[in-house]
Amino acid sequence: MNIFSDIEPFMLRAFAVAVVMGPLCALLGVFVTARRMAFFSDTIAHGALAGIALGFLLGFEDPTWPMVLFSLLVAAAILWLKEHTDLLTDTIMALLLSGSVAFGIIVLSMLKNKRGELHRYLFGDILSVGPDDVWLAVVLCAAIGAWLFTKLSPLALLTASEDLAHVCGVRTRWLNYAFVLVLTVVVSLSIRLLGIILVTSLVVIPPAAARNLARNLRQQIILSLVIGLFGGAAGTVASYHWDIPCGPAIVMACIAVFIGSLLVSKLWLNRPTTA
Amino acid sequence: MTHTTCSHSAADIAVSVRDLRVTLGGQQVLRGVNIHLHRGQLVALIGPNGSGKTTLLRAMVGLQKPDSGDVRLFGESNLKKALPRVGYVPQRLALDRSFILSVREFLALRLRETQHWFWHRHRDTDDRLRAAMAELGAESLLDRPIAALSGGQLQRVLIVFALLKQPDLQLLDEPTAGVDSPGEESFYDLIGEVHRRHKLTVVLVSHDLSMVYRHASWVYALNGVVCCEGTPEHVMSADSLKEAYGLNVTPYQHHGHSHGPGGGTVQ
Repeated sequence: MNIFSDIEPFMLRAFAVAVVMGPLCALLGVFVTARRMAFFSDTIAHGALAGIALGFLLGFEDPTWPMVLFSLLVAAAILWLKEHTDLLTDTIMALLLSGSVAFGIIVLSMLKNKRGELHRYLFGDILSVGPDDVWLAVVLCAAIGAWLFTKLSPLALLTASEDLAHVCGVRTRWLNYAFVLVLTVVVSLSIRLLGIILVTSLVVIPPAAARNLARNLRQQIILSLVIGLFGGAAGTVASYHWDIPCGPAIVMACIAVFIGSLLVSKLWLNRPTTA
Repeated sequence: MTHTTCSHSAADIAVSVRDLRVTLGGQQVLRGVNIHLHRGQLVALIGPNGSGKTTLLRAMVGLQKPDSGDVRLFGESNLKKALPRVGYVPQRLALDRSFILSVREFLALRLRETQHWFWHRHRDTDDRLRAAMAELGAESLLDRPIAALSGGQLQRVLIVFALLKQPDLQLLDEPTAGVDSPGEESFYDLIGEVHRRHKLTVVLVSHDLSMVYRHASWVYALNGVVCCEGTPEHVMSADSLKEAYGLNVTPYQHHGHSHGPGGGTVQ
Protein backbone atom coordinates (compact mmCIF):
# COMPACT_ATOMS: atom_id res chain seq x y z
CA MET A 1 0.00 0.00 0.00
CA ASN A 2 1.28 3.40 -0.92
CA ILE A 3 1.66 5.50 2.23
CA PHE A 4 1.15 8.65 0.16
CA SER A 5 -2.16 7.44 -1.32
CA ASP A 6 -4.25 9.08 1.42
CA ILE A 7 -2.47 12.39 1.19
CA GLU A 8 -3.75 15.12 -1.05
CA PRO A 9 -1.49 15.76 -4.12
CA PHE A 10 -1.22 19.49 -3.31
CA MET A 11 0.13 18.52 0.10
CA LEU A 12 2.77 16.24 -1.42
CA ARG A 13 3.83 19.00 -3.80
CA ALA A 14 4.13 21.50 -0.96
CA PHE A 15 6.10 18.95 1.08
CA ALA A 16 8.48 18.29 -1.83
CA VAL A 17 9.11 22.00 -2.39
CA ALA A 18 9.58 22.62 1.35
CA VAL A 19 12.16 19.86 1.87
CA VAL A 20 14.09 21.07 -1.18
CA MET A 21 13.93 24.83 -0.64
CA GLY A 22 14.37 24.60 3.14
CA PRO A 23 17.98 23.31 3.07
CA LEU A 24 18.84 25.51 0.06
CA CYS A 25 17.64 28.68 1.82
CA ALA A 26 19.46 27.57 4.98
CA LEU A 27 22.74 26.99 3.12
CA LEU A 28 22.51 30.41 1.48
CA GLY A 29 21.56 31.82 4.86
CA VAL A 30 24.90 30.86 6.43
CA PHE A 31 26.57 33.44 4.20
CA VAL A 32 23.61 35.86 4.18
CA THR A 33 23.71 36.20 7.98
CA ALA A 34 27.51 36.38 8.17
CA ARG A 35 27.57 39.05 5.45
CA ARG A 36 24.76 41.00 7.17
CA MET A 37 22.49 40.63 4.16
CA ALA A 38 19.26 39.60 5.97
CA PHE A 39 17.64 42.98 5.25
CA PHE A 40 18.81 42.69 1.64
CA SER A 41 16.98 39.36 1.41
CA ASP A 42 13.88 40.94 2.95
CA THR A 43 14.00 43.83 0.47
CA ILE A 44 14.17 41.63 -2.61
CA ALA A 45 11.32 39.51 -1.20
CA HIS A 46 9.15 42.61 -0.83
CA GLY A 47 10.29 43.78 -4.27
CA ALA A 48 8.60 40.65 -5.60
CA LEU A 49 5.20 42.11 -4.72
CA ALA A 50 5.64 44.83 -7.34
CA GLY A 51 6.66 42.12 -9.84
CA ILE A 52 3.57 40.06 -9.04
CA ALA A 53 1.31 43.10 -9.46
CA LEU A 54 2.99 44.03 -12.75
CA GLY A 55 2.65 40.42 -13.93
CA PHE A 56 -1.10 40.49 -13.32
CA LEU A 57 -1.36 43.93 -14.91
CA LEU A 58 0.37 42.63 -18.04
CA GLY A 59 -2.03 39.69 -18.19
CA PHE A 60 0.13 36.87 -16.81
CA GLU A 61 -1.98 34.15 -15.17
CA ASP A 62 1.11 32.91 -13.30
CA PRO A 63 3.29 35.88 -12.30
CA THR A 64 6.36 33.78 -11.32
CA TRP A 65 8.70 35.16 -13.97
CA PRO A 66 7.70 38.83 -13.62
CA MET A 67 8.14 38.31 -9.87
CA VAL A 68 11.69 36.91 -10.27
CA LEU A 69 12.61 39.59 -12.81
CA PHE A 70 11.37 42.44 -10.64
CA SER A 71 13.22 41.05 -7.61
CA LEU A 72 16.39 40.97 -9.73
CA LEU A 73 15.71 44.55 -10.76
CA VAL A 74 15.41 45.57 -7.10
CA ALA A 75 18.67 43.71 -6.28
CA ALA A 76 20.43 45.45 -9.18
CA ALA A 77 19.03 48.82 -8.03
CA ILE A 78 20.41 48.23 -4.51
CA LEU A 79 23.87 47.41 -5.88
CA TRP A 80 23.86 50.35 -8.30
CA LEU A 81 22.74 52.89 -5.69
CA LYS A 82 25.31 51.51 -3.24
CA GLU A 83 28.12 52.01 -5.74
CA HIS A 84 27.01 55.33 -7.22
CA THR A 85 25.61 57.29 -4.27
CA ASP A 86 26.70 58.12 -0.73
CA LEU A 87 23.45 56.75 0.73
CA LEU A 88 23.69 54.17 3.52
CA THR A 89 22.81 50.64 2.41
CA ASP A 90 19.99 50.44 4.99
CA THR A 91 18.48 53.67 3.64
CA ILE A 92 18.62 52.37 0.06
CA MET A 93 16.95 49.10 1.05
CA ALA A 94 14.23 50.76 3.15
CA LEU A 95 13.48 53.04 0.20
CA LEU A 96 13.21 50.20 -2.31
CA LEU A 97 11.29 47.92 0.07
CA SER A 98 8.60 50.46 0.88
CA GLY A 99 8.50 51.68 -2.73
CA SER A 100 7.99 48.18 -4.11
CA VAL A 101 5.27 47.32 -1.57
CA ALA A 102 3.44 50.61 -2.17
CA PHE A 103 3.61 50.16 -5.95
CA GLY A 104 2.47 46.52 -5.72
CA ILE A 105 -0.50 47.30 -3.46
CA ILE A 106 -1.65 50.24 -5.62
CA VAL A 107 -1.53 48.14 -8.80
CA LEU A 108 -3.28 45.17 -7.15
CA SER A 109 -6.00 47.45 -5.75
CA MET A 110 -6.63 48.68 -9.30
CA LEU A 111 -7.04 45.09 -10.56
CA LYS A 112 -10.37 44.32 -8.91
CA ASN A 113 -10.37 40.58 -9.67
CA LYS A 114 -6.84 40.14 -8.23
CA ARG A 115 -7.31 41.73 -4.80
CA GLY A 116 -7.47 38.29 -3.16
CA GLU A 117 -4.02 37.48 -4.53
CA LEU A 118 -2.39 39.95 -2.14
CA HIS A 119 -3.06 37.74 0.89
CA ARG A 120 -1.79 34.61 -0.91
CA TYR A 121 1.52 36.19 -1.82
CA LEU A 122 2.03 38.02 1.45
CA PHE A 123 1.58 34.92 3.62
CA GLY A 124 2.15 32.06 1.18
CA ASP A 125 -0.36 29.53 -0.08
CA ILE A 126 0.17 25.81 -0.05
CA LEU A 127 -2.53 25.36 -2.70
CA SER A 128 -0.67 27.52 -5.19
CA VAL A 129 2.29 25.10 -5.47
CA GLY A 130 1.81 23.39 -8.82
CA PRO A 131 3.62 20.38 -10.39
CA ASP A 132 5.85 22.74 -12.38
CA ASP A 133 6.90 24.45 -9.15
CA VAL A 134 8.10 21.12 -7.77
CA TRP A 135 10.29 20.46 -10.80
CA LEU A 136 11.56 24.01 -10.79
CA ALA A 137 12.48 23.70 -7.10
CA VAL A 138 14.28 20.37 -7.61
CA VAL A 139 16.29 21.57 -10.64
CA LEU A 140 17.07 24.86 -8.93
CA CYS A 141 18.16 23.15 -5.74
CA ALA A 142 20.44 20.73 -7.61
CA ALA A 143 22.05 23.47 -9.73
CA ILE A 144 22.40 26.15 -7.06
CA GLY A 145 23.35 23.67 -4.33
CA ALA A 146 26.13 22.23 -6.54
CA TRP A 147 27.34 25.74 -7.40
CA LEU A 148 27.36 26.79 -3.74
CA PHE A 149 29.37 23.74 -2.70
CA THR A 150 31.99 24.35 -5.40
CA LYS A 151 32.25 27.98 -4.27
CA LEU A 152 32.37 27.35 -0.51
CA SER A 153 36.02 28.38 -0.16
CA PRO A 154 35.83 31.60 -2.23
CA LEU A 155 32.56 32.50 -0.48
CA ALA A 156 34.05 31.90 2.97
CA LEU A 157 37.08 34.02 2.05
CA LEU A 158 34.87 36.75 0.58
CA THR A 159 32.84 36.76 3.80
CA ALA A 160 36.00 37.02 5.93
CA SER A 161 37.50 39.85 3.85
CA GLU A 162 36.91 41.05 0.30
CA ASP A 163 40.43 42.48 0.21
CA LEU A 164 42.02 39.19 1.22
CA ALA A 165 39.84 37.32 -1.24
CA HIS A 166 41.01 39.63 -4.03
CA VAL A 167 44.69 39.14 -3.16
CA CYS A 168 44.11 35.37 -3.09
CA GLY A 169 42.85 35.51 -6.67
CA VAL A 170 39.07 35.39 -6.07
CA ARG A 171 37.10 37.37 -8.66
CA THR A 172 35.28 39.22 -5.89
CA ARG A 173 33.04 41.43 -8.01
CA TRP A 174 31.82 38.51 -10.10
CA LEU A 175 31.25 36.31 -7.03
CA ASN A 176 29.33 39.09 -5.24
CA TYR A 177 26.99 39.51 -8.21
CA ALA A 178 26.57 35.74 -8.63
CA PHE A 179 25.68 35.38 -4.93
CA VAL A 180 23.09 38.17 -5.13
CA LEU A 181 21.62 36.61 -8.28
CA VAL A 182 21.30 33.19 -6.66
CA LEU A 183 19.85 34.63 -3.44
CA THR A 184 17.30 36.67 -5.38
CA VAL A 185 16.13 33.72 -7.45
CA VAL A 186 15.87 31.38 -4.44
CA VAL A 187 14.07 33.92 -2.23
CA SER A 188 11.58 34.97 -4.89
CA LEU A 189 10.76 31.37 -5.79
CA SER A 190 10.24 30.45 -2.12
CA ILE A 191 7.56 33.13 -1.80
CA ARG A 192 4.86 30.74 -3.09
CA LEU A 193 5.32 28.57 -0.04
CA LEU A 194 6.22 31.01 2.72
CA GLY A 195 4.93 34.35 1.54
CA ILE A 196 6.74 37.66 1.14
CA ILE A 197 6.62 38.48 4.84
CA LEU A 198 8.01 35.19 6.12
CA VAL A 199 10.38 34.02 3.39
CA THR A 200 13.50 35.64 4.92
CA SER A 201 12.96 33.63 8.10
CA LEU A 202 13.90 30.43 6.25
CA VAL A 203 17.14 32.12 5.22
CA VAL A 204 17.93 33.52 8.66
CA ILE A 205 16.62 31.16 11.37
CA PRO A 206 18.30 27.81 10.46
CA PRO A 207 21.83 29.32 10.29
CA ALA A 208 21.14 31.25 13.50
CA ALA A 209 20.05 28.05 15.29
CA ALA A 210 23.05 26.20 13.85
CA ARG A 211 25.34 29.01 15.02
CA ASN A 212 24.26 28.32 18.61
CA LEU A 213 25.53 24.75 18.41
CA ALA A 214 28.39 24.80 15.89
CA ARG A 215 32.07 25.22 16.66
CA ASN A 216 33.17 25.91 13.09
CA LEU A 217 31.78 26.80 9.67
CA ARG A 218 31.62 23.19 8.52
CA GLN A 219 29.40 22.25 11.47
CA GLN A 220 27.25 25.35 10.94
CA ILE A 221 26.66 24.47 7.29
CA ILE A 222 25.73 20.85 8.07
CA LEU A 223 23.44 21.81 10.97
CA SER A 224 21.80 24.58 8.90
CA LEU A 225 21.01 22.09 6.13
CA VAL A 226 19.50 19.67 8.66
CA ILE A 227 17.45 22.38 10.41
CA GLY A 228 16.24 23.79 7.06
CA LEU A 229 15.17 20.30 6.01
CA PHE A 230 13.46 19.65 9.35
CA GLY A 231 11.72 23.05 9.37
CA GLY A 232 10.39 22.54 5.84
CA ALA A 233 9.20 18.99 6.52
CA ALA A 234 7.78 19.54 10.02
CA GLY A 235 6.06 22.78 8.99
CA THR A 236 4.24 21.29 6.02
CA VAL A 237 3.24 18.17 7.98
CA ALA A 238 1.95 20.34 10.87
CA SER A 239 0.14 22.54 8.37
CA TYR A 240 -1.65 19.51 6.89
CA HIS A 241 -2.29 17.82 10.22
CA TRP A 242 -3.69 20.84 12.08
CA ASP A 243 -5.01 22.72 9.06
CA ILE A 244 -2.92 25.81 9.71
CA PRO A 245 -1.15 28.05 7.16
CA CYS A 246 1.98 26.38 5.77
CA GLY A 247 4.41 29.32 5.79
CA PRO A 248 3.87 30.27 9.43
CA ALA A 249 4.01 26.56 10.41
CA ILE A 250 7.47 26.21 8.76
CA VAL A 251 8.67 29.37 10.49
CA MET A 252 7.40 28.19 13.89
CA ALA A 253 9.12 24.81 13.41
CA CYS A 254 12.40 26.64 12.72
CA ILE A 255 11.88 28.93 15.71
CA ALA A 256 11.25 25.92 17.96
CA VAL A 257 14.61 24.50 16.85
CA PHE A 258 16.24 27.88 17.43
CA ILE A 259 14.92 28.07 21.01
CA GLY A 260 16.04 24.51 21.63
CA SER A 261 19.52 25.25 20.24
CA LEU A 262 19.79 28.38 22.38
CA LEU A 263 18.89 26.44 25.53
CA VAL A 264 21.35 23.65 24.68
CA SER A 265 24.04 26.23 23.93
CA LYS A 266 23.58 28.14 27.19
CA LEU A 267 22.68 25.35 29.60
CA TRP A 268 24.47 22.29 28.26
CA LEU A 269 27.37 23.40 26.08
CA ASN A 270 27.92 26.48 28.28
CA ARG A 271 28.99 28.32 25.13
CA PRO A 272 30.05 31.90 25.85
CA THR A 273 29.26 34.64 23.37
CA THR A 274 32.26 35.89 21.42
CA ALA A 275 33.43 39.35 22.42
CA MET B 1 62.33 65.43 -1.66
CA THR B 2 65.46 64.21 0.10
CA HIS B 3 66.91 60.75 -0.32
CA THR B 4 69.92 58.59 0.27
CA THR B 5 71.22 56.19 -2.34
CA CYS B 6 70.85 52.42 -2.31
CA SER B 7 72.97 50.30 -4.62
CA HIS B 8 70.87 47.58 -6.31
CA SER B 9 70.37 46.57 -9.93
CA ALA B 10 66.99 46.98 -11.69
CA ALA B 11 66.47 43.18 -11.72
CA ASP B 12 66.43 43.26 -7.93
CA ILE B 13 63.37 45.45 -7.81
CA ALA B 14 60.34 43.79 -6.17
CA VAL B 15 57.93 46.72 -6.40
CA SER B 16 58.10 49.58 -8.84
CA VAL B 17 55.65 52.47 -8.67
CA ARG B 18 55.87 55.29 -11.20
CA ASP B 19 54.00 58.59 -11.07
CA LEU B 20 51.04 57.04 -9.24
CA ARG B 21 48.04 59.30 -8.83
CA VAL B 22 44.91 58.32 -6.90
CA THR B 23 41.82 60.38 -6.10
CA LEU B 24 39.48 59.35 -3.28
CA GLY B 25 36.24 61.20 -2.54
CA GLY B 26 37.26 64.07 -4.82
CA GLN B 27 40.59 64.52 -3.05
CA GLN B 28 43.89 63.60 -4.67
CA VAL B 29 45.45 61.28 -2.09
CA LEU B 30 48.50 60.29 -4.12
CA ARG B 31 49.98 62.99 -6.35
CA GLY B 32 52.66 61.33 -8.41
CA VAL B 33 54.33 58.76 -6.18
CA ASN B 34 57.52 57.09 -7.37
CA ILE B 35 59.06 54.24 -5.37
CA HIS B 36 61.31 51.29 -6.12
CA LEU B 37 61.50 48.59 -3.47
CA HIS B 38 64.40 46.16 -3.65
CA ARG B 39 64.15 42.47 -2.96
CA GLY B 40 64.96 41.34 0.55
CA GLN B 41 64.40 44.74 2.12
CA LEU B 42 62.14 45.50 5.03
CA VAL B 43 60.61 48.76 3.88
CA ALA B 44 58.49 51.02 6.06
CA LEU B 45 55.96 53.52 4.75
CA ILE B 46 55.45 56.31 7.24
CA GLY B 47 53.47 59.51 7.16
CA PRO B 48 50.64 61.35 8.89
CA ASN B 49 47.00 60.24 8.72
CA GLY B 50 45.59 60.69 5.23
CA SER B 51 49.05 60.76 3.66
CA GLY B 52 48.17 57.88 1.32
CA LYS B 53 50.14 55.02 2.94
CA THR B 54 47.25 52.53 2.92
CA THR B 55 46.10 53.74 -0.51
CA LEU B 56 49.58 53.10 -1.88
CA LEU B 57 49.67 49.61 -0.36
CA ARG B 58 46.22 48.83 -1.78
CA ALA B 59 47.27 50.10 -5.21
CA MET B 60 50.23 47.70 -5.10
CA VAL B 61 47.86 44.71 -5.03
CA GLY B 62 45.20 46.12 -7.36
CA LEU B 63 42.68 46.91 -4.61
CA GLN B 64 42.82 50.60 -5.47
CA LYS B 65 42.45 51.68 -9.07
CA PRO B 66 44.81 54.58 -9.86
CA ASP B 67 43.87 57.62 -11.94
CA SER B 68 47.19 57.25 -13.72
CA GLY B 69 50.63 55.81 -13.21
CA ASP B 70 52.14 52.38 -13.23
CA VAL B 71 52.58 49.67 -10.59
CA ARG B 72 54.75 46.63 -11.25
CA LEU B 73 55.40 43.67 -8.97
CA PHE B 74 58.57 41.77 -9.88
CA GLY B 75 58.51 43.55 -13.25
CA GLU B 76 54.95 42.34 -13.98
CA SER B 77 52.42 45.07 -14.81
CA ASN B 78 49.49 42.61 -14.77
CA LEU B 79 49.11 42.55 -10.99
CA LYS B 80 46.79 39.54 -11.03
CA LYS B 81 49.63 37.43 -12.40
CA ALA B 82 51.96 38.61 -9.66
CA LEU B 83 49.49 38.18 -6.77
CA PRO B 84 50.35 34.50 -6.08
CA ARG B 85 53.78 35.78 -4.98
CA VAL B 86 52.25 38.29 -2.57
CA GLY B 87 51.09 37.96 1.03
CA TYR B 88 48.81 40.73 2.28
CA VAL B 89 47.78 41.55 5.83
CA PRO B 90 44.95 44.12 5.87
CA GLN B 91 44.56 46.66 8.66
CA ARG B 92 41.56 44.85 10.11
CA LEU B 93 38.90 42.32 9.22
CA ALA B 94 35.30 43.47 9.65
CA LEU B 95 34.14 40.07 10.83
CA ASP B 96 30.60 39.49 11.96
CA ARG B 97 30.33 37.58 15.23
CA SER B 98 27.86 35.20 13.63
CA PHE B 99 30.55 34.05 11.18
CA ILE B 100 32.02 31.04 12.90
CA LEU B 101 34.89 30.26 10.53
CA SER B 102 37.60 28.58 12.62
CA VAL B 103 41.27 29.49 12.29
CA ARG B 104 41.95 26.04 10.81
CA GLU B 105 39.24 26.55 8.16
CA PHE B 106 40.44 30.08 7.46
CA LEU B 107 44.01 28.91 6.86
CA ALA B 108 42.78 26.02 4.71
CA LEU B 109 41.22 28.57 2.32
CA ARG B 110 44.72 29.74 1.39
CA LEU B 111 46.07 26.46 0.02
CA ARG B 112 45.03 24.65 -3.12
CA GLU B 113 45.39 21.25 -1.45
CA THR B 114 43.05 22.23 1.40
CA GLN B 115 40.46 24.25 -0.48
CA HIS B 116 37.99 21.35 -0.24
CA TRP B 117 38.12 21.62 3.55
CA PHE B 118 34.40 21.00 3.83
CA TRP B 119 34.65 17.46 2.56
CA HIS B 120 37.78 16.16 4.24
CA ARG B 121 40.57 16.94 6.63
CA HIS B 122 43.88 16.12 5.03
CA ARG B 123 46.45 14.93 7.57
CA ASP B 124 49.49 16.33 5.73
CA THR B 125 48.01 19.76 5.21
CA ASP B 126 46.74 19.76 8.77
CA ASP B 127 50.35 19.17 9.85
CA ARG B 128 51.42 22.03 7.58
CA LEU B 129 48.87 24.40 9.10
CA ARG B 130 49.93 23.33 12.58
CA ALA B 131 53.63 23.87 11.80
CA ALA B 132 52.95 27.29 10.31
CA MET B 133 50.95 28.31 13.38
CA ALA B 134 53.61 26.93 15.72
CA GLU B 135 56.25 29.08 14.00
CA LEU B 136 54.39 32.18 15.14
CA GLY B 137 53.50 30.72 18.53
CA ALA B 138 49.81 30.52 17.74
CA GLU B 139 49.23 26.76 17.49
CA SER B 140 46.66 26.81 20.28
CA LEU B 141 44.37 29.05 18.23
CA LEU B 142 43.70 26.52 15.44
CA ASP B 143 40.20 25.56 16.57
CA ARG B 144 39.08 29.02 17.73
CA PRO B 145 36.64 31.05 15.59
CA ILE B 146 38.56 33.90 13.95
CA ALA B 147 35.82 36.36 14.96
CA ALA B 148 36.61 35.58 18.63
CA LEU B 149 40.34 36.34 18.46
CA SER B 150 41.94 39.37 20.08
CA GLY B 151 43.61 41.97 17.84
CA GLY B 152 47.09 40.53 18.38
CA GLN B 153 45.98 36.93 17.88
CA LEU B 154 44.17 37.84 14.66
CA GLN B 155 47.24 39.64 13.31
CA ARG B 156 49.35 36.54 13.96
CA VAL B 157 46.80 34.38 12.15
CA LEU B 158 46.73 36.83 9.23
CA ILE B 159 50.52 36.69 8.98
CA VAL B 160 50.45 32.87 9.02
CA PHE B 161 47.75 33.01 6.33
CA ALA B 162 49.92 35.29 4.19
CA LEU B 163 53.04 33.15 4.70
CA LEU B 164 51.38 29.80 3.91
CA LYS B 165 51.98 30.17 0.18
CA GLN B 166 55.59 31.18 0.80
CA PRO B 167 55.28 34.60 -0.84
CA ASP B 168 58.23 36.66 -2.08
CA LEU B 169 56.60 39.91 -1.02
CA GLN B 170 54.75 40.51 2.26
CA LEU B 171 52.62 43.64 2.63
CA LEU B 172 51.42 44.64 6.09
CA ASP B 173 49.01 47.52 6.66
CA GLU B 174 49.54 48.80 10.20
CA PRO B 175 50.04 45.30 11.60
CA THR B 176 49.91 46.46 15.21
CA ALA B 177 46.68 48.46 14.85
CA GLY B 178 44.75 46.04 17.09
CA VAL B 179 47.64 45.05 19.34
CA ASP B 180 48.02 46.42 22.87
CA SER B 181 51.15 48.42 23.71
CA PRO B 182 53.16 45.69 25.49
CA GLY B 183 52.55 43.33 22.57
CA GLU B 184 53.61 45.83 19.92
CA GLU B 185 57.36 45.51 20.37
CA SER B 186 57.39 41.72 20.33
CA PHE B 187 55.13 41.86 17.30
CA TYR B 188 57.63 43.93 15.34
CA ASP B 189 60.38 41.57 16.53
CA LEU B 190 58.28 38.74 15.10
CA ILE B 191 57.91 40.52 11.75
CA GLY B 192 61.67 41.11 11.69
CA GLU B 193 62.26 37.43 12.44
CA VAL B 194 59.84 36.33 9.69
CA HIS B 195 61.61 38.71 7.28
CA ARG B 196 65.02 37.22 8.04
CA ARG B 197 63.95 33.58 8.15
CA HIS B 198 61.88 33.61 4.95
CA LYS B 199 64.16 36.06 3.10
CA LEU B 200 61.12 38.10 2.15
CA THR B 201 60.66 41.57 0.86
CA VAL B 202 58.47 43.18 3.51
CA VAL B 203 56.56 46.43 3.15
CA LEU B 204 54.84 47.70 6.25
CA VAL B 205 52.77 50.75 6.97
CA SER B 206 53.44 52.03 10.47
CA HIS B 207 52.88 54.94 12.79
CA ASP B 208 55.45 53.74 15.30
CA LEU B 209 58.62 55.56 14.28
CA SER B 210 60.79 53.96 16.95
CA MET B 211 59.89 50.48 15.71
CA VAL B 212 60.51 51.57 12.13
CA TYR B 213 63.90 52.84 13.24
CA ARG B 214 64.80 49.49 14.80
CA HIS B 215 63.59 47.12 12.11
CA ALA B 216 63.31 48.79 8.70
CA SER B 217 66.19 48.75 6.25
CA TRP B 218 64.62 51.46 4.08
CA VAL B 219 61.97 54.06 4.82
CA TYR B 220 59.64 56.10 2.65
CA ALA B 221 58.01 59.14 4.24
CA LEU B 222 54.80 59.94 2.41
CA ASN B 223 52.48 62.88 2.37
CA GLY B 224 50.67 62.62 -0.94
CA VAL B 225 54.08 62.37 -2.57
CA VAL B 226 57.30 60.78 -1.35
CA CYS B 227 58.74 63.51 0.89
CA CYS B 228 61.92 61.63 1.63
CA GLU B 229 63.37 58.16 1.43
CA GLY B 230 66.44 56.44 2.71
CA THR B 231 67.86 54.58 5.64
CA PRO B 232 66.01 54.99 8.94
CA GLU B 233 68.84 57.17 10.25
CA HIS B 234 68.46 59.53 7.33
CA VAL B 235 64.66 59.69 7.19
CA MET B 236 64.26 59.94 10.95
CA SER B 237 66.25 63.16 11.06
CA ALA B 238 64.10 65.94 12.42
CA ASP B 239 64.23 67.89 9.16
CA SER B 240 63.10 64.95 7.04
CA LEU B 241 60.22 64.17 9.35
CA LYS B 242 59.19 67.80 9.47
CA GLU B 243 59.03 67.72 5.68
CA ALA B 244 56.80 64.62 5.75
CA TYR B 245 54.58 65.47 8.69
CA GLY B 246 54.76 69.24 8.63
CA LEU B 247 55.12 69.05 12.40
CA ASN B 248 57.83 68.92 15.01
CA VAL B 249 58.78 65.43 16.14
CA THR B 250 60.12 64.83 19.59
CA PRO B 251 62.68 62.04 19.93
CA TYR B 252 62.15 59.61 22.76
CA GLN B 253 63.70 56.47 24.20
CA HIS B 254 61.55 53.41 23.43
CA HIS B 255 61.70 50.55 25.91
CA GLY B 256 65.28 51.30 26.79
CA HIS B 257 66.52 51.35 23.20
CA SER B 258 68.47 54.41 22.24
CA HIS B 259 67.42 55.73 18.86
CA GLY B 260 68.88 58.27 16.52
CA PRO B 261 67.63 61.78 16.34
CA GLY B 262 64.39 60.77 14.70
CA GLY B 263 63.45 57.69 16.72
CA GLY B 264 60.25 58.85 18.33
CA THR B 265 56.62 59.57 17.87
CA VAL B 266 54.74 62.27 16.08
CA GLN B 267 53.64 65.01 18.44
